Amino acid sequence: MAVLRSAPLRHLLRGLVSAVIVVAALFPIFWGLMTSLKPARDIVTFPPSLLPATVTLEHYATIFKAGALGFLLNSLLVSAGTVALCIGLGALAAYGLARFEFPGKRAVLVAIIAVMSIPVASLLIPTYTLIAEIGLVNTHVGLILVYSAYQLPIVIWILAAYYQSLPIELEWSAMMDGYSRFQALWKVVLPLSRPGLIAAGLFVVVFAWNDFVVAVTLLSSEDTRTLPIGIYNFLGFYGREWGPLLAASMVSTIPLLVIFVVLQRYFMAGMTNGSVKG
Amino acid sequence: MMDGQRTPFQAYRYLLPALVLEAGFVFAPLALSLFYSVHRVRYYQLGDFNGVQNYLDVLSHRLFLNSFLVTCSFSLMALALTFAVGFGLALFLNRDTSGSILLRTIVLLPYVIAMLVGSMLLKWIFSTDAGLVPLAAAWFNITSPTILADPDYAMAAMVANGIWRDSAFAMVMLLAGLRSIPPNLILAARIDGAGSFMIFRRIMLPLLRPAILITLIRLLLHFANVLTFPLILTGGGPNNATETLALRIFRIGFEDFDLGKANAMAIVLCLFNIVAVILLLAVFRKTRGGQSL
Repeated sequence: MAVLRSAPLRHLLRGLVSAVIVVAALFPIFWGLMTSLKPARDIVTFPPSLLPATVTLEHYATIFKAGALGFLLNSLLVSAGTVALCIGLGALAAYGLARFEFPGKRAVLVAIIAVMSIPVASLLIPTYTLIAEIGLVNTHVGLILVYSAYQLPIVIWILAAYYQSLPIELEWSAMMDGYSRFQALWKVVLPLSRPGLIAAGLFVVVFAWNDFVVAVTLLSSEDTRTLPIGIYNFLGFYGREWGPLLAASMVSTIPLLVIFVVLQRYFMAGMTNGSVKG
Repeated sequence: MMDGQRTPFQAYRYLLPALVLEAGFVFAPLALSLFYSVHRVRYYQLGDFNGVQNYLDVLSHRLFLNSFLVTCSFSLMALALTFAVGFGLALFLNRDTSGSILLRTIVLLPYVIAMLVGSMLLKWIFSTDAGLVPLAAAWFNITSPTILADPDYAMAAMVANGIWRDSAFAMVMLLAGLRSIPPNLILAARIDGAGSFMIFRRIMLPLLRPAILITLIRLLLHFANVLTFPLILTGGGPNNATETLALRIFRIGFEDFDLGKANAMAIVLCLFNIVAVILLLAVFRKTRGGQSL
């Protein structure tokens, strides 16, 4: 312990631990990116080289020829649809929770926490059964409805907490000026709730863009596939050809990382919001 | 601020669309699932009522016991290690220097990218083709194992996948808990002569109890239902050594096309989850004491 008290040693130790954390977290992503840029014959050489000797985009060309652009557009469409539906319904529902006392409120809160906590995987077969029953299998509409049902509780939770942090007097004065309660929500509360809306939207985007297990059960044909399902099918198709597989993985990862790094402070706030503090 | 007296059901004008969506796509599927689970279903054709036969069939199948044990051992190992790493990270990064903020962002990246992509990246690292495993083996002078073809190594790889991805979740939850401890309390203890370990043991741990419990339950729910890790990383193999309950259900439903049995098993898994969620709610109630929402 006495050793740890000396400042330079402490710094050194801290630096070492930090380095280990960075390498452990990032190496798999970095290694995948590097591999995706190597020519096919260089990928399996032994000993492996960390950086590509020659950089090639051939694997990216391969996957775009195999339909990756369509998958990308499907993912964009489904993500956008899910965000729109979740924010639309969530902004309303959160207002009901934040500003009213009503019979059944406790039950609604319990249901929200329950749906937020139940893992998606255990609902897959029941959901598939229902979606098949109502004829929405292999449609983007079906996927958007299911995604929204899973993400709406967290959106409501984040937004309700945000609304409660706003002074209610603003709504009162808007209503005195002749706004209806609904107009006050639309014209006063929502514009002030931008950070909450961003946090909630970010959660939904990350879920919808990344989801694999729901989409793999509900989508069946090539023209509806989202990006993760496209990658999963590449896994069956290319087998041990890692170049295209990792290139496709990077196409899914890079846009998300950019969004996340720009907006990450909202994300962390959302993650703990309502889980520990509330 | 509450105008509940006048029109007690006014709130439902705002809540109704959301409640309809939840009822339609979370609660209705569960009800339908219950209905399917007591019928014969072959190739998506609903057949006769057959009581608890589906439940008896799935529970007595030799692979059910296997997947149950796989799920238990995976969940417990992943839970213990992920929690430990996440706790370590939270303590290590519980300061607002720019370095710590950057490190927190970096730790979160494996959590934010698609689970499918994460498992694929690790599958590539653990594969013999990548050359990293043989390289490491040569370094330690041992024969190179084929990680994903060996039952024990494959399980270890899956646990590693859990730690790599989900430590960030534990870290963020516990950091929020650490933030809620009043700094004065720690300062006062220090003035009274308490050492770092004493402060950790006597002040931080008791005050972190709710955060710790919530983190543990949510991680347990996540791991006990894990599907993507085994499906992508190990394929449930070798020889079903990493076939979890969720993967088993997935296979009964979409490879054997037996929605009756798959729904029966999904109900069993859901019951487990509901018990875990009830525990979670009990923790919530204790800690929040009904304030705010």
